[in-house]
Amino acid sequence: MEIIIALAVLGLLVLFFIAQYNRLIRLNISVDESFAQIEVQLKRRTDLIPNLVETVKGYAKHEQGTFDAVVNARAKATTASGVADVAAADGMLTQALRGLLAVAEAYPDLKASSNFLSLQEELSTTENKVAFARQFYNDNVRNLNTAVKTIPTSFFAGFAKVTEREFYEVEDPQDRNVPKVTF
Amino acid sequence: MAANDFRAQESANKGKTYFLLASMGLLTGLVAYAALTYFGAGTSTFMVPLAVGISLIGVWGSYYGSDKLVLKMTGAKLIQREDNPELFNVIEEVVIASGLPMPQVAIVVDSAPNAFATGRDPDHALIAFTTRILEVMDRDELQGVIAHEMAHVANRDTLVSAVAATTAGAIAILSDFLMRMMWFGGGRRDRDSSANPVLLIVSLFVLILAPIAATLLKSAISRRRESLADATAVSFTRNPAGLRKALEVLATDSTVVHQKSNAVAHIWIESPLDGKAVSKMFSTHPPIEERIATLRAMESLGN
Repeated sequence: MEIIIALAVLGLLVLFFIAQYNRLIRLNISVDESFAQIEVQLKRRTDLIPNLVETVKGYAKHEQGTFDAVVNARAKATTASGVADVAAADGMLTQALRGLLAVAEAYPDLKASSNFLSLQEELSTTENKVAFARQFYNDNVRNLNTAVKTIPTSFFAGFAKVTEREFYEVEDPQDRNVPKVTF
Repeated sequence: MAANDFRAQESANKGKTYFLLASMGLLTGLVAYAALTYFGAGTSTFMVPLAVGISLIGVWGSYYGSDKLVLKMTGAKLIQREDNPELFNVIEEVVIASGLPMPQVAIVVDSAPNAFATGRDPDHALIAFTTRILEVMDRDELQGVIAHEMAHVANRDTLVSAVAATTAGAIAILSDFLMRMMWFGGGRRDRDSSANPVLLIVSLFVLILAPIAATLLKSAISRRRESLADATAVSFTRNPAGLRKALEVLATDSTVVHQKSNAVAHIWIESPLDGKAVSKMFSTHPPIEERIATLRAMESLGN
């Protein structure tokens, strides 16, 4: 009798260990997957850029500075690797594209062209997808980091070779412009 | 963390669902017990599994094939990306935010703005929109509506409502059987003659009232799942204002979907039975003003 109880307890313990271990591995994989999703969306965006720049150039030839900023940011974005680098390049490109769209505002013919309108729709949906992919990645990182730091999963983190992961933080100067409050 | 943010809302609504489902289970147990007291062990051991079985078969079929069945019942037509690329763009955005697989998309030709989600699991999900909702809503509002529908998919609400419907169905069938037996068979055949009369009367009341109680519980579960879907939608988009504005559009619009069947009333984002609902306790959706107020409270938190 005692041996059956002992075996049952042992069995439950093993199941518990397996569950904790698998949870950590699953969380780690979902962080990898969601980072891949960010990269897919960033790639989509960089692919849109040459076409967009050409279209805007057709109407607004004298905005060379803006075009250069976009092209440079795009070049950086295509070579970046690692969470911090990709995030930094992503932020730069987001800024440059904002500049490009601001330029387009000044050219009514351009804004009315069907080519530009469809590019603008593509770009805005891609921007949203990039933003949601970042948010999903950060949520996954948050879940993983919580699991790595809290009991009982924290006991298994070393064994599963799972460590805390880096959040995807985009440098956006606009975010820092906290509205001034005067009394 | 404030008490009204989406995470608190989500866990509160989940907790209430568990409580309501547990109450359903308890009610089933109570009915089975009442049957046992009233008719004795012989009849009940046969009747209870039979009622649960019939209900299970009926509901399981409609749950398993829900995506196809609902298409038939609502007259929705599946569409592909080429048919409406902009709608697909917005859906893909929410899909990325939710981490769910891409659902099937369908359109219902109808002059009322409305939408629904169904499917037995996220891999067989279907979301549908009326032609009107696509006309009246801007991108942000549509994103909110899509997020609400994807939230139903994420929360497995087809499964939850199937469980609720099975239990309510079993209770209805069981109490119907037993009531008939009472009128026609004289009942109490194998009853122990020394049974407590008070217990007998209580059992009779339980049998009469159980179907109504089960319907009330089913509606309460549906209302909790709607509130939960609103909260989960905000966790996807982090933009309560979009869904709030969408609900305001739905609230001001008085047209209702011309649906072919009332059986699918509970799946729409805005209940098509609003005007007809007997009372708040039987309605499948929380009052739309209440949903708007909850979302407004989330907006003020800035998340």
